Amino acid sequence: MNIQFKKGVLELCVLTVLCRRDCYGYELVQAISENIEIAEGTIYPLLRRLTQEEYSSTYIQESNEGPARKYYRITDKGRECQKMQLAEWNHFITGVNTLIKEEPA
Amino acid sequence: MTRDQFLSQLRLSLGNMPEADKQDIVYDYEEHFRIGLADGKSEEQIAESLGNPRVIGNSYRIDAMLTVPNDGESVAAASVFNAVIASISLTIFNVIFVLGPFIGLIGILFGMWVTAGSLVFAGAVTMVSTAFPSASNVQLIANPLANGAFMLFSGLGIGALGVLASIGMVLVTKWFFIGVAAYVKFNARIIRGGK
Repeated sequence: MNIQFKKGVLELCVLTVLCRRDCYGYELVQAISENIEIAEGTIYPLLRRLTQEEYSSTYIQESNEGPARKYYRITDKGRECQKMQLAEWNHFITGVNTLIKEEPA
Repeated sequence: MTRDQFLSQLRLSLGNMPEADKQDIVYDYEEHFRIGLADGKSEEQIAESLGNPRVIGNSYRIDAMLTVPNDGESVAAASVFNAVIASISLTIFNVIFVLGPFIGLIGILFGMWVTAGSLVFAGAVTMVSTAFPSASNVQLIANPLANGAFMLFSGLGIGALGVLASIGMVLVTKWFFIGVAAYVKFNARIIRGGK
């Protein structure tokens, strides 16, 4: 699949998962790679960019099993962005599906 | 590929990024390996599903190049230089192509205001001098049509026209200044190099 397209969709996926709950990197990567085939390493650059653009923030939290983990939390700006991207996505797939289902003339 | 190989290749491909950024980036992968190993995976498995560390490193560098720093201190010298060039060329452009028309427009605006004001004044004077001929020094011109009622109403008409023109001018002036403000903002945006 087109890599730029996949990147855009991946951003929507990451934002969506973060909208539901705060995640540490590994957890987020698992949640996404369970559903979409990706190189898992592409998630971290995306997370860093999202954090720099203030769509998400990070905090360190101690865990029961071993050392502390870095958690990612969505910001209000991030939620806003997720809503917009989701709407765009829905609009897009509706269009594609309509096109596919059209009876050949 | 082992954990250490992955991390060192990643670090290498981050190139000349600031050391603090490199550490921050590599931290995420150290944690990823740590949790993955605790999850029962092998270093090779984890490295394989992460992908090529050089490709990953490059994507950080590309992001760093595309990100415009938003705090004043870290603005690169190059962007300051660009801002200076932009403001100089804008200044030259403004003096040559914008200052003249600007002065002209101010002149036209002034002329229109004077016209509107004169209409109001003329209307008022006509009415007052018709209503109280003795109280004013204004002499009615010798005109067969110039009876009292006619003069009163034409004064009223001229005055009303003047008031309407003044109201119109308030709007025009407002638009003019909105336009000027927008142009100034546009200049500021070009100098800052923003979108």
